Amino acid sequence: MQRSESGAGVSTPAATVLVFSPRAWDPTWADQLAHFDALLAGVPGVRARLMGIARDGLGCDVTFGDDAAHIPVRVELDPGGTVAARYGVRGEPAVIVVDEEGREHWRHDGAAPRADELVRALRALSADADIADDEPSFGISPRPTRRQFVATALGAALTLATMSVAAKAEPLLAPLAPPPEPGVATTHVTLRVNGRDVPLDIEPRVTLLDALREYAGLTATKKGCDHGQCGACTVHVNGRRQLSCLTFAMMHQGDEITTLEGLANGEELHPMQAAFIEHDGFQCGYCTPGQIMSAVALLKEPCGRADADVKECMSGNICRCGAYPGIVAAIQDVRAQGRG
Amino acid sequence: MRPFEYVAADDIASATRAASADHATRFVAGGTTLIDLMKLEVETPSRLVDINRLARRDPSLAAITELPNGGLRIGALVRNSDLAWNDLVRTRYPVLSQAVLAGASGQIRNMATTGGNLLQRTRCYYFRDTAMPCNKREPGSGCSALHGHHRIHAVLGTSDHCIATSPGDMPVAMNALDAVVRLRGPAGERAVPVTAFHVTPGAHPEVETVLRHGEMITAVDLPPLPFAARSHYRKVRDRASFAFALASAAVALDIGNGRIRDARVALGGVATKPWRAHEAERVLKGHAPGTALFRSAAEAELRHAVPHPENAFKIELAKRTMVRALSTVAAMG
Repeated sequence: MQRSESGAGVSTPAATVLVFSPRAWDPTWADQLAHFDALLAGVPGVRARLMGIARDGLGCDVTFGDDAAHIPVRVELDPGGTVAARYGVRGEPAVIVVDEEGREHWRHDGAAPRADELVRALRALSADADIADDEPSFGISPRPTRRQFVATALGAALTLATMSVAAKAEPLLAPLAPPPEPGVATTHVTLRVNGRDVPLDIEPRVTLLDALREYAGLTATKKGCDHGQCGACTVHVNGRRQLSCLTFAMMHQGDEITTLEGLANGEELHPMQAAFIEHDGFQCGYCTPGQIMSAVALLKEPCGRADADVKECMSGNICRCGAYPGIVAAIQDVRAQGRG
Repeated sequence: MRPFEYVAADDIASATRAASADHATRFVAGGTTLIDLMKLEVETPSRLVDINRLARRDPSLAAITELPNGGLRIGALVRNSDLAWNDLVRTRYPVLSQAVLAGASGQIRNMATTGGNLLQRTRCYYFRDTAMPCNKREPGSGCSALHGHHRIHAVLGTSDHCIATSPGDMPVAMNALDAVVRLRGPAGERAVPVTAFHVTPGAHPEVETVLRHGEMITAVDLPPLPFAARSHYRKVRDRASFAFALASAAVALDIGNGRIRDARVALGGVATKPWRAHEAERVLKGHAPGTALFRSAAEAELRHAVPHPENAFKIELAKRTMVRALSTVAAMG
């Protein structure tokens, strides 16, 4: 994403959002961007549009529309860490907005704030700002105005807070879903995913993959080729590995679906997940959820014990990084130890 | 993807009724071919009838059962994996188990069904690209492969209208085994030898089987064939796994007193339908097995092959694949 030299955020970051959240949280969930846009649309006079969240290590950048405002977000996943301690956070999730001197401008402690509370706060703050409607849009002025500061910072906080709640799989608002196409009827179905009932309103064209990612917010399952040729979308259906891109969600009412999110036992990784880490079974990681789901299911199949057999059995999962040796080693290790 | 109506059928009668009412209706089971082609808008059904639940009322649809004559009945909803891993199939018809395991990937084999696999559609690039003319997809629009790229295309059973390759592995083995396809439709039941189930394109490439609209495959019967315990499927492809055949051969031999008493040979990857190699079988029968005989059988089968510039290699490849498969079976104890 381009940023102009005179842009508000790059050289003189005006605000930083600190997020302290449990480890399950992933700030790169794309579906949360649409959620943010929808919430911000309800706030008059605020033109910011969240374009993306770029993640780099523990920090990430929240970028608003047209290069306008760019807010670095310091993510300290551990609410018991050192930065957390400086801001008086002691183990609880928190969202804090600070300026460039580190002064606190807004905070919320404990369970993530409700969306309507944040919208109310955002409305109040934007109405409070002493700015005419015809002021330059974000990014044109060398430094952000107070309203821009508050609105964008709060917007970021709102997004992040919403995400942290979504990560706990208790939707803050109705499940996210693309708007239905006019004239196409949706049907209410319930899918059983990772041991939980997931109610969805979907039309017949929605694949199981899209239902998981775009409707249920379970984005571990990846869309690679979307034509059954790469294996990135592999999930378990009634204990067997299948391609979620080549089947419609409506065909799976009553089926027991398991995604990568359902593999770990709380904080304890599934042995196959641990083995992939131990044996470097990935590089970029995009194919990894599918590889792991395939690998776990493979151990229940009559697959031969030689490396060549494992390669054959895993041939439906393509890895462009070429992490195959590590993947085979991970599978063989888990099988040898009888941990699958 | 075009919008469509989704119906889940509970019994065969309602499924076939729902399908026969509308020509733009398709049955969906595994979905691995159909949904792929719907995304490409090559298939544009207005309604899908999901037949996966039929097995709740009629478990035989998803079961492999022994027939009184010593053969096996494979329900149409039996998944490829279950077919390939079945002990009876593995011991009595290893060629079929091997053919299924040579196809697709572990995930797809867990989805794809026996009935659906018989109806798998070609991988011709132009068939899959709605921007290009294709007689199979759009009758009368012309064949882009004849003068375009056709490295993966057929050399047997072609016509001036279509040279698209039949892509499957399982149907090739079933052809060698003289399997029988059981169908049920609004007009009742019938049984069609699998060798007559698929048809060559001729002037109507859009017609690939003798299946009538509204008819459903309910099972495939494998007749008893004791010598099929000595059988083998050989597949040659661009990569070691998860690729379509450039050439494949399904072979079963009955050898006694140093002579081939009976032979079953079918080819895949080189023909417009799963190709039963009757010519090769005729050459083989009554003679002592050996490389020279196998080679002349292969020559006989491919004598009428029609090559195009990019796929001429398939003729020699098919011959060698057949010779290798025959040699493998002949060497079995």
